Amino acid sequence: MNDLRIARTPHSPEVDFCFSEHRLTLSGEAYPEDAAAFFHPVLSALEQYLAGADDCDIEFNFRLTYFNSAATKMLYRLFGLLNESACTHNRIILRWQYDAEDDTLLEFGEGVRDDFNALEFHPVALGLAAI
Amino acid sequence: MEAAPAVSPGHTSLEVLELLSGHPDLAGLPVVEDGRPMGLINRNLFMDEMAKPFRRDLFARKSCIAFMDKAPLVVPESLGVQELSFLALEQGGKTLKDGFIVTDDAGSYRGIGTGEALMRAVSHLQAEKSRQVMESINYAGIIQKSFLKASRETLGDTLHDHFLLWEPRDRVGGDCYLCRRFEDGVFVALMDCTGHGVPGAFMTLIMTSFLDHVLAEPLRMDPARILSLVNRKVKQALGQQGKPKGALLDGDEQSDDGMDAALLWLARGAKRLVYAGARIPLLLLAPDDGAATFLEGDRQGVGYVDTPMDYVWTNRELALTDGSAVYLATDGLTDQIGGPRQIAFGRKRLAALLQACRAAPMAEQESRVRDALREYQGNQRRRDDVSVLGFRS
Repeated sequence: MNDLRIARTPHSPEVDFCFSEHRLTLSGEAYPEDAAAFFHPVLSALEQYLAGADDCDIEFNFRLTYFNSAATKMLYRLFGLLNESACTHNRIILRWQYDAEDDTLLEFGEGVRDDFNALEFHPVALGLAAI
Repeated sequence: MEAAPAVSPGHTSLEVLELLSGHPDLAGLPVVEDGRPMGLINRNLFMDEMAKPFRRDLFARKSCIAFMDKAPLVVPESLGVQELSFLALEQGGKTLKDGFIVTDDAGSYRGIGTGEALMRAVSHLQAEKSRQVMESINYAGIIQKSFLKASRETLGDTLHDHFLLWEPRDRVGGDCYLCRRFEDGVFVALMDCTGHGVPGAFMTLIMTSFLDHVLAEPLRMDPARILSLVNRKVKQALGQQGKPKGALLDGDEQSDDGMDAALLWLARGAKRLVYAGARIPLLLLAPDDGAATFLEGDRQGVGYVDTPMDYVWTNRELALTDGSAVYLATDGLTDQIGGPRQIAFGRKRLAALLQACRAAPMAEQESRVRDALREYQGNQRRRDDVSVLGFRS
């Protein structure tokens, strides 16, 4: 299936779902006026991809730096899809990239780890040089 | 539209040349025959043509239509500015440069319009529309403030040393608070409804009215139970009962709105409070040099599709020794991006800030929090509504 790329805006993230290489990346910020409208095409592409993926090593790079509560709802649906697939068909690594000083983002990531325990959670603290 | 000089096909190019020379402001000269527009002569094109060798001798005595644009934009005067601007854009840059011809509804020539005048009208329309929207939102802001006024006054009457910082991001917002006084104590709630701006403000009205409704029953001492009842009401009212099967719900106009909240019951005369939280923690600063402690609420939000209908929240009781301070803040503060690394403000920074000004009166603490947020935010955009409540027992 086709890769999914959506350019970043001030209120919505960059989506780079390289399905052909099983490498999915989400970066930037997510607080669109209508979170459902933004995320639905993303979720449905992901759902379709996962339905066709079997015995794959999938890498999900999470690089969002800000997301509001409406976007959080959508992210939870996204992690739900990944988790379900990781329970049954695929190995999924969740690379949780955050600023080394950003406790808020790390704590959120740890919540995701606890709630979606089929995902291999790899926190990646980014130092000053990498920011 | 401007009334402008027009010529007929009977006019010669020489006459047009003289006319254009006499009206240096005229970008286009309409050609009209029997009251009907035929075309538009563009000044620059015409002048360029006439300046070429022999052209003047060849064309000076011939009809001026030789160098006329035969298909300019012609519009009836009843056409709206918006439709006109779309038509002008369809014609490419020509209309903005040369202008366009205006007729009456029967197609008779009335005058010309210039690209500049059209741009001016479009900008004016835009400004007018955004002014109307802003006025409407400003007025909604007045309504929301009046709606919250009673609670603010009750807070002032019951919690003597307190502050309440309430800064909706867009004049109105999804953050709100509620304070009700009873014979045997005070009930306080801080809520962060999904969304901000107008949709957020709608949600605050729904949540407040449900909360008031539940408070009419003798449940005020049991904030956790109140959260459960409000959860049930929201899910029923907004039809948020379906299970989000997989990621997507078909049709998908279903809302998934709810709130984060912290509810407190302060029994009169008792040195303790009962707290129940849905994703909003309580920060307690013990008196003197005591440590700052975060009491976590439940991680489940209220009313959302994925919150079970029968979810049970937890009450936590805590003793309030004299002088201890209690704070509640929505995530608009702790999640605000800023600072040198452009990361969230964070809970640790909030705790450190409040510890640093713990001895100050609450009113002063409010300005410390406000200033700290402003400074941290710097030139970043405000991401969300911000509310902070603090009081001392």
